[in-house]
Amino acid sequence: MELKKSITPKKNLSISNKFSMSYGKSEKLAGIAFVLPIAVLLIIFMFYPMIQAFIISFQDFNLISQKKTFIGFDNYINLFKDKEFIASLKHSFYFAMVVVPVQGIISLGLALLLQKKSRINSFFRTIYFIPVVISTAVAATVFELIYSKDFGLLNAILEALHLPTVNFLSNPDTAMNGVIILGIWKAAGFFMIIFLAGLNNIPADLYEAAHVDGAGKIRQFFSITLPLLKRTIAFVAIITTIDAIKLSALVYVLTGGGPSGSTETTVVYIFRTAFEQMSMGYASAAAFILFAIVLIISLIQMKLFKSDVEY
Amino acid sequence: MKKKLTIMMFFIMLVGSLLAGCSSGNSDQASDNAGDGNSEGGVVQLTFWRNAGNDVENKVYEDLIKGFEEQNPNIKVKMTPIPFGDYETKLRTALAAGNPPDVMAIDSPNLAAYADAGAIKSIDEYMKSEGNVDDILEGTLSGMKYNDEIYLAPIVESGIAMFYNKNLFEEKGVPFPSEDPNNPWTWEQVLEAAKKLNDPANGVYGIDPAQGFGDGEGPAYFKMPILWQFGAEVLSQDGTTADGYLNSPEAIEALQFYQDLYEKHKVAAVELPPDPFATGKVAISMDGTWALAHLKNNFPDFKLGEDFGIAPLPKAKQKAAPNGGWALGIASKSEHPEEAWKLIQYITSYEGIKTYAEATGDIPARYSVAEDMPELNEYPKNIFVTQAQNYAENRPVTPAYPTVSKAMKELFEDIGISGRNVEAAAAEAVEKIDKEIKKTQN
Repeated sequence: MELKKSITPKKNLSISNKFSMSYGKSEKLAGIAFVLPIAVLLIIFMFYPMIQAFIISFQDFNLISQKKTFIGFDNYINLFKDKEFIASLKHSFYFAMVVVPVQGIISLGLALLLQKKSRINSFFRTIYFIPVVISTAVAATVFELIYSKDFGLLNAILEALHLPTVNFLSNPDTAMNGVIILGIWKAAGFFMIIFLAGLNNIPADLYEAAHVDGAGKIRQFFSITLPLLKRTIAFVAIITTIDAIKLSALVYVLTGGGPSGSTETTVVYIFRTAFEQMSMGYASAAAFILFAIVLIISLIQMKLFKSDVEY
Repeated sequence: MKKKLTIMMFFIMLVGSLLAGCSSGNSDQASDNAGDGNSEGGVVQLTFWRNAGNDVENKVYEDLIKGFEEQNPNIKVKMTPIPFGDYETKLRTALAAGNPPDVMAIDSPNLAAYADAGAIKSIDEYMKSEGNVDDILEGTLSGMKYNDEIYLAPIVESGIAMFYNKNLFEEKGVPFPSEDPNNPWTWEQVLEAAKKLNDPANGVYGIDPAQGFGDGEGPAYFKMPILWQFGAEVLSQDGTTADGYLNSPEAIEALQFYQDLYEKHKVAAVELPPDPFATGKVAISMDGTWALAHLKNNFPDFKLGEDFGIAPLPKAKQKAAPNGGWALGIASKSEHPEEAWKLIQYITSYEGIKTYAEATGDIPARYSVAEDMPELNEYPKNIFVTQAQNYAENRPVTPAYPTVSKAMKELFEDIGISGRNVEAAAAEAVEKIDKEIKKTQN
């Protein structure tokens, strides 16, 4: 074994050395040519603005006036003292902490239910995927009507069941939950599809073997499905966390950050600060704090979910 | 070595072509502008941005531009109406990018922030020599000034009044309020009426005191008058502090009264269906001149005079009404300020304003136009006109205005929706505003 391994590469090298130096070269060139367009676009439209924003975050930068003054870490220091910013972080995290587990479980549950291939299942797959396709603005507007206190569908149903009515969106204590329900409804279908792909990747013979060994469905789920789904779960967890913390459009249309600022997430706060209050420097600093937080959380999650199971 | 060189060359060419793509666009435009401006027959191209209004407003603007171009064959105007919600963001981005339109519509309370940043040009000299300034409503004109210089030219004035549902009033045996603009109901009278009209079991609320809880500039526009009516101010006269004004005893009294409508008397509701007034869900509603056209077009069976009436805004210690609206200004970076002024002068002249006000039904910003439009001296328009001419107040003039506006919105939400202690909420608003004022002074 050892011997063979050491010989083969050498052999390859000796052949290619003389014969295909130019071949390797052109191969490399082709590779770079493929990567280059997107790399250039990324540099111009992503990295350059990011560096600029980073510089601006150390400045007192009013959007419409051209005067900029360098103020060091003042923006960052003030942000940590800013009640509204801290509150917006709390709102974003509350959203993430509820949505990530609940949405994960719902989409995994849906995926398990619809895993077997059949006509009815593919019909329901489509049904559950439809909310993903619907535009955010449309969904938020419709939900606003559904939640409405006096004439909304939700309260009409509650009333018919002789339950107390709720004013979901105009009560600061419950408004975020209204956003959460819409958020989950909107995104669960997408992650259901991801989970379905993950489930289909698990070899069927493992289940057969478990069945022969006398493992029941529940045992199979915990001993085979979950461990082998770890990579998919990691992917879903990380993406939903990032999405949840970046939440903005839904809130912007559904509640505009109200009532009484109770649903103002960090990204909505950043947008408002930059374009309504015109404090670009302050908003950029807030954006970088958020970026750092998301980065740290993602790194921790990747560590936690590092899969050691191979199949 | 050679390989690296080829790659480098390729990269440079690619970036080069991309940049060339960008810059050639710019230089084309620049040469276009220059060509239009000077050499080719001396035709100047003006860009004009404004917030898109309803169909009537858009049509009359197009007519005005057409008239202007006929009168000035050497000036072409490229007008871009932008949806209201995106307008300020777009305008600010264009200003930040150093590529603003020549002429733009600006909501007057934001003037100070734009002028302080040096984004718009003072038109003081033009206005004083050619703008017939004495003819412009006094309150309106003072809202066009920053540091005693005129920056904007007004077209029409906005105004709000108390709309009341006559059917509901009759049903509950409540007498109608006075329609004399100089003799409005007091807030106490309004509250008494609202209590009698209030019928939440049947989905009817007594009053919507200041257009619920909206977004943008609406809250400040509708809610500041309540403070003024109770004798309070938002900022000191020189605009340097809110301390002692927004938290004065008068302000606290006003805020407490407002909170009581929701919390204590429960005659107002935090959440209302769309068009609650026209559908009879709210008996008294403060609304603007624009609501007249809206009700007429969308609720033809809900008739002014029969089903609903209009009364002047309530008073407490004094009569007060909001004013201000979209007015026209010139960008500091405009290359054609002379032509831009000509356009503004045309639109804000006697004829321009008359054309506009006759089409839209708004209150003209010039006394002379108001005199020549008979319907403005009759009910219900006379209420808005009298208020605008005699009792209107400007929202505070300060570069920190965006923060003031936001603080007002949050203050009224805090006390109206969250039921916070009025004094604590006011103190917090004062702190927010003063912090920002200090920042803008540096």
